Amino acid sequence: MTTSTPGKTTAVEPVFSVEGLWKVFGPKAERIPGDPELGALNAAELRARTGCTAAVRDVSFEVGKGEVFVVMGLSGSGKSTLVRCLTRLIEPTAGTIAIDGEDVRAMDATRLRELRRHRASMVFQHFGLLPHRSVLDNVAYGLEIQGVAKDERRKRAQEVVAKVGLEGMEQRRPGQLSGGQQQRVGLARALAVDPEVLLFDEPFSALDPLIRRDMQEEVIRLHREEGRTMVFITHDLNEALRLGDRIALMRDGRVVQLGTPEEIVGSPADDYVREFVRDVPREQVMTVRTAMRPADADEAERGPAIAPEATVSEAIEAVARSGFPVRVMDDGRCLGVVDHERLLGVVAGTYTKTAAGTESKTAAGTESKTAAGTESKTAAGTGSKEVV
Amino acid sequence: MATATAAVPQTGVTALLKHRVVGKLLLLALAAAILIPIANARWASGTWPDALTVDLSEPLGKASDWIIDNRDSHPLFLYFFGHISNAVVLSVRTVYLVLLAAGWAGVTAAAALVAWRVAGVRLAIGTGVAFLACGLLGMWVPTMQTLALMVVAVLASVVLGMLLGLAAGLSDRTFRALRPVLDTMQVLPAFAYLLPVVLVFGIGVPAAVLATVVYAAPPMARLTALGLRGADAGVMEAVESMGTTARQRLLTARLPLARKELLLGLNQTIMMALSMAVIASVIGAGGLGDRVYQALASVDVGAALAAGIPIVLLAVVLDRVTGAAGERMGSGSSQSGRSGWKPWGYAAVVAVAVALAGRFTDRLDWPEAWLVNIAEPVNRAVDWMTDHLYSGVPYIGGTADWAGHFTTWVLDPVRDGLQWLPWWSVLLIVATLAWLIGTWRTALTAVLAMAAIGVLGVWNPSLDTLSQVLAAVAVTLVVGFAIAVAAARSERVERLLRPVLDVFQTMPQFVYLIPVVALFGVGRAPAVAAAVVYALPAVVRITTQGLRQVNPAAMESSRSLGATSWQQLRQVQLPLARPALLLAINQGVVLVLAVVIIGGLVGGGALGYDVVFGLAQGDLATGLVAGGAIVCLGLMLDRVTQPTERRTRKGA
Repeated sequence: MTTSTPGKTTAVEPVFSVEGLWKVFGPKAERIPGDPELGALNAAELRARTGCTAAVRDVSFEVGKGEVFVVMGLSGSGKSTLVRCLTRLIEPTAGTIAIDGEDVRAMDATRLRELRRHRASMVFQHFGLLPHRSVLDNVAYGLEIQGVAKDERRKRAQEVVAKVGLEGMEQRRPGQLSGGQQQRVGLARALAVDPEVLLFDEPFSALDPLIRRDMQEEVIRLHREEGRTMVFITHDLNEALRLGDRIALMRDGRVVQLGTPEEIVGSPADDYVREFVRDVPREQVMTVRTAMRPADADEAERGPAIAPEATVSEAIEAVARSGFPVRVMDDGRCLGVVDHERLLGVVAGTYTKTAAGTESKTAAGTESKTAAGTESKTAAGTGSKEVV
Repeated sequence: MATATAAVPQTGVTALLKHRVVGKLLLLALAAAILIPIANARWASGTWPDALTVDLSEPLGKASDWIIDNRDSHPLFLYFFGHISNAVVLSVRTVYLVLLAAGWAGVTAAAALVAWRVAGVRLAIGTGVAFLACGLLGMWVPTMQTLALMVVAVLASVVLGMLLGLAAGLSDRTFRALRPVLDTMQVLPAFAYLLPVVLVFGIGVPAAVLATVVYAAPPMARLTALGLRGADAGVMEAVESMGTTARQRLLTARLPLARKELLLGLNQTIMMALSMAVIASVIGAGGLGDRVYQALASVDVGAALAAGIPIVLLAVVLDRVTGAAGERMGSGSSQSGRSGWKPWGYAAVVAVAVALAGRFTDRLDWPEAWLVNIAEPVNRAVDWMTDHLYSGVPYIGGTADWAGHFTTWVLDPVRDGLQWLPWWSVLLIVATLAWLIGTWRTALTAVLAMAAIGVLGVWNPSLDTLSQVLAAVAVTLVVGFAIAVAAARSERVERLLRPVLDVFQTMPQFVYLIPVVALFGVGRAPAVAAAVVYALPAVVRITTQGLRQVNPAAMESSRSLGATSWQQLRQVQLPLARPALLLAINQGVVLVLAVVIIGGLVGGGALGYDVVFGLAQGDLATGLVAGGAIVCLGLMLDRVTQPTERRTRKGA
């Protein structure tokens, strides 16, 4: 399925690489991943036959360095189990997980603790703060268990507290903070140990919408400043589209589609995904690169220019102002044009279908131009979220 | 047609519900029909048949003789119990001497300063006043004796309870094994613990301390285990995700997260230790309890009151201070944590200074001139009461008359009735009740416990005790439910009641004997009265809470349908509060039993008297058998009134 193709598109070296991962809860769980017949059953049948629940089924993906990788799905889709398997907070049933090429499942207790202490920090939905400690001591907690001396860890915690905008609250208890502030403490705690990867498990689901938006911007800002690799779990599609360089959409433990926000919205892999993204404002996710058509002879010379990463909604504005089709320019070269027909097609959703058609063709390698487009898009994926 | 199909499931359900009860009853009837004729044919008698009793008094007597003979020579005593005993004596002695050396001023200052640090100014003043009152009443030395014993017993209980609680909190298997034991220990009357320790350690301070530890450690263990197990799973996961070792998780997260439960455990342990330290005067604890015990033995109410007031003051102060400390830490206010040590230092300096000042001015002992003798006026008042209120008051009769009537009209018929019943029918009644309220498991335990009483050969005294318990429970429930309904309906009644309940719930059981002896003299009726007064607060509190927590939406909807308050109470509140009511009954029974047993000290007779008699005469066999019967009776009563969770879920 779609899983395999974009999964390999990451050009940069992978931080996490997950291959054929299974997590099955229940008696004699080990037999299920190996058995193709059992593996093919749906959740209810599997439960009836074996008494087991497969939370994660045969999931593979890679997370590139500096990437924001979003796993999204509804509750019960296995996304939270998946992220816990990455640092073995939940022990996987089958499959391989590697961090920087090192096999996580083969690690002994000491090595695993090292991984959790220095390489991957997690931010939780319900914060998980220690209620008897002050904000500062909560932030310094990760350093404390590493054995960092008191003054040193206070100093570093103080810096991180400032970074997440909690100055002046160092001596408060978590119980005296609002939900958003508490999650800032959770974020600071994870950042304080300077981890290679940040894991977020639905960190903003318990927050009010406005605060949630603030926090999302905070994460975007942090990512822009530090370029830290992030794995972000959410059930909120808008959040996924806002934050993700790539999104893995999960259903019943499987990844049903993995791709950039644009791919997910523009060419849903199946009806489930299509239903899922139906209400997304496409013009804010789709870029003109996907929406453009080859330029006619005269069109390539005149009209306003726009970058290929610009969103359709930006192009609409330009077209509306000038009245002409807009040229999509990359390095002084005209890649194509978008006219009002194309743009309206994206908004109406009629274009998507044909695009999906062309795109699946491009994947097979027929039309070289758009194929090249898709590739560079993923590489430059970091930029796409600022557009939203 | 449609109505018919709709009606079917409903009648089906009710039929099923009825079916469960009817099924149980039918099964029991069947079992009874087979077993009873056999039992009746072989061992026809009203009381428990002799053929089925095992006389334990001889082997127990021998064992106790052997222990007395070998206490000074056998290695088990020399190298194990001996060391424990010596360590206990030594530590109690040390604490006692330190307390005496600090003098009354030093101790009072230290106590008030500790209270100030952990609980604030108001409680500090209260603490100081309470200690001074102990001195004023001429009870300074006994208070210090009790306090010394308490300090050692509480420390040991906390350590033991924490260790057990840690084990049970961290290991599921230990928890499953320990929980029923702890639960059962919690329902057993204090008196049941006295004899086994006396058997091993003889009468004296070590036995008193150890009985106290055995009695007071379970709540600490229970609450520690519950607190550790109840740690927020999210926090624990977060802590694990950061790469903590198991040890770090325990020390930095699990234990601090449980600190509210730990402090509640400490509070309960202290209260139970005080209660037991007072009762343990029967086995040589000395101190305040001993004064009360001696005074009651000679029906000297004034002297008993002079020693009883310090007990109550001590109880209230200890409870409030530890409770306030728990609340403070639980709320996690920031001032207590960081800036903590300096004020403690000042407090210590002040306390030492006061103690030294007392020492240099030669005022270590409480000054004679400051004594207030309340015994005499109290005794005069009691004498006056005896003369004027005991009997012959026109129309209402006197208190002694009431007690007499209660004995003749209630206690005697119930006791005689129980003893007249054939033994197998008692077992059958126990089985039926326990099974209807609980499961076959609780029913089996209850029947076995009751049968064990018969086997021990104390059938008749146990039924005597049981009759007192039944009478007291009936009175408690009637009065308790009435008060609770009033309190649940009116805020004002509840507000008035709350401080009263608070004080009454903290008082040690022993203290309740003093006023009832003053009012009713000695006998079974005062024992019942003390039991009622002791159990009433808990019953009222649980019932009130249960009634108040009834879903307001259900109340509102019934009101909107135009229900009268009586209808509301009967049709909404009482049915919805059923679990709370059952719990109230269970608690009532357990608490009543505890005091009815202690009533043996004031002429309650029966099992309690056997224990006291056994201790007084050195006839440990009688006492131990009675103690065993008390345990069985406690078990039986608890199981009979114990609704299972499964059942409450089905009923809801």
